[in-house]
Amino acid sequence: MIKQNFRVLHPGIAKALDSIWIIPFFLFCLIFEIIPIIILVKDSFFDSAGLFTLANYAGLKKPVYMLSFWNSIRLSAITALFGTVLGTFIGYSILKTKAKWLKGLFTALANVTTNFAGAPLAFAFIIILGENGVITLLFALVLNIHLYPHFQIYSYAGLVVAYTYFQLPLMILLIIPSFAGLQKEWREAAVNMGASTFTYWRYIGLPLLTPSLIAGFVLLFANAYGAYATAYTLVASNLMLVTTQIAFVVKGEVLHNPALAKAMATVSLLIMGICISIYKIAITRAPGAEK
Amino acid sequence: MKDSKTSKVIFLIIFAVYMLVPILATYMFSVAVRWDRTILPEGYTLKWYAETFHHPYFIIALKNSLFLALYTVVLNLVLIVPAAYIAHTRLPGAKMPMDLLTILPFGIPRVILALALITVFTIRPIARSPFLLVSACTVFSMPYMYRPIANSLEAMDLRTINDAARLQGASASQILLYIIGPNILTGIVSGSLLVYSAIFAEYTLAVLITGARFKTLPMLLVEFTRRDGRIASAISVTAFTIAMFLSLAIIFIARKREHGQGKEKV
Repeated sequence: MIKQNFRVLHPGIAKALDSIWIIPFFLFCLIFEIIPIIILVKDSFFDSAGLFTLANYAGLKKPVYMLSFWNSIRLSAITALFGTVLGTFIGYSILKTKAKWLKGLFTALANVTTNFAGAPLAFAFIIILGENGVITLLFALVLNIHLYPHFQIYSYAGLVVAYTYFQLPLMILLIIPSFAGLQKEWREAAVNMGASTFTYWRYIGLPLLTPSLIAGFVLLFANAYGAYATAYTLVASNLMLVTTQIAFVVKGEVLHNPALAKAMATVSLLIMGICISIYKIAITRAPGAEK
Repeated sequence: MKDSKTSKVIFLIIFAVYMLVPILATYMFSVAVRWDRTILPEGYTLKWYAETFHHPYFIIALKNSLFLALYTVVLNLVLIVPAAYIAHTRLPGAKMPMDLLTILPFGIPRVILALALITVFTIRPIARSPFLLVSACTVFSMPYMYRPIANSLEAMDLRTINDAARLQGASASQILLYIIGPNILTGIVSGSLLVYSAIFAEYTLAVLITGARFKTLPMLLVEFTRRDGRIASAISVTAFTIAMFLSLAIIFIARKREHGQGKEKV
């Protein structure tokens, strides 16, 4: 009773008491999220003597860093494309599965496999597609196709196979609600007016789905760009990627210039920022989105 | 019509094969005597599991991973539950920045988060400590905790509940503990499970922040991938089996919630 009167009399104090509950969260984000990132970005513009410089960014023009960016962007774009296209068709097939238990099973498979990433995933692909892997053997013994030495799991091609694995379930889980958001009546109306399956998708279905497809693509791109564990387990230092280069600096394994790593990180954050912004804009226009 | 049906079946088969073969191969490899010359393993054994479980580092790494995930969940809960509740009820102005701060980690690759944290925290007890690792894991996993809780809060008519409770003289902590808490429990549970399974499998932050000082299960796995594939497969199976049960639990809870409340979105 006393407490209540106190609050009625002093709304300002009540509000201050309320804010106590949110302060730890904001303080934590400030200390461990915002400030470290700001300092990282700031550091990338200064030299070791503490003077402003763009030399760290000029240093990124060296072939080794350009190659890292090129590899990372190419790998992310290709696997995002594979994931988006395959994931869309698979997602649609799952949604159109009539048997309820089968539909549930496929959705559960997509859910469970999102956990199968990183080192365990890389290792699994070594088992099946390594030089003595079961798929490699199957190709050689049954089809008489010798994957090695043309194909290597510890290479760019291997990374494409492994990355596509973790991209697929993500795209499927993202696209299913969008397909579900396409109203049945729209298709019926189109068919009643004489539209074929192709015309329906070409002029109604696909344009409506475009925001979801764009959102999916940029999300997968960002997902692949930031991946490290799979890449490190498979290729270690055989293939230059932005994340593996930065990680080398963090581990102190190579005599890289930390300021250069920070410049690399800043450029990467910019790329991520663009991806997340496109994602946020696109996802609100996707069918089935309520927010 | 028939053609599109066949193509659907083909896509589903591609999906099932692509997703299942690597997992099943890992499980089989972990019980195979030898499996590098023949299409099927040359025999089956549980020897690799026995060896793995007796490995001194295995128990340490398993414990480290279990506790790292646990502490991350606890820190997430302490920071996010009260803040999300207040932001959704009495300080609506805090909701937007909170949404933003919990989305931001999606745009920060873990390698970069690690680089930023070790740049800033260079002083001894904190630098590269398990404490810093828990903080990093919390930043990275906040979206997984915040989203389900925010969804639960949005589904409730908080203003009415809050006003009614206040009129009865309940304090903020009492409202949270006895009224809101039980109502957002499903959000809290699925958020906690998501965070737990994400951090249990976390390699990047652990290897870059604490390194060899604090070995986690995925770190041990990467080490053995190069040394002994059979031990690696046993570790991999153990880790994935735990993660699989966690995500099945999440699906189960999400379904139950859908049936219970209808209009909520996961």
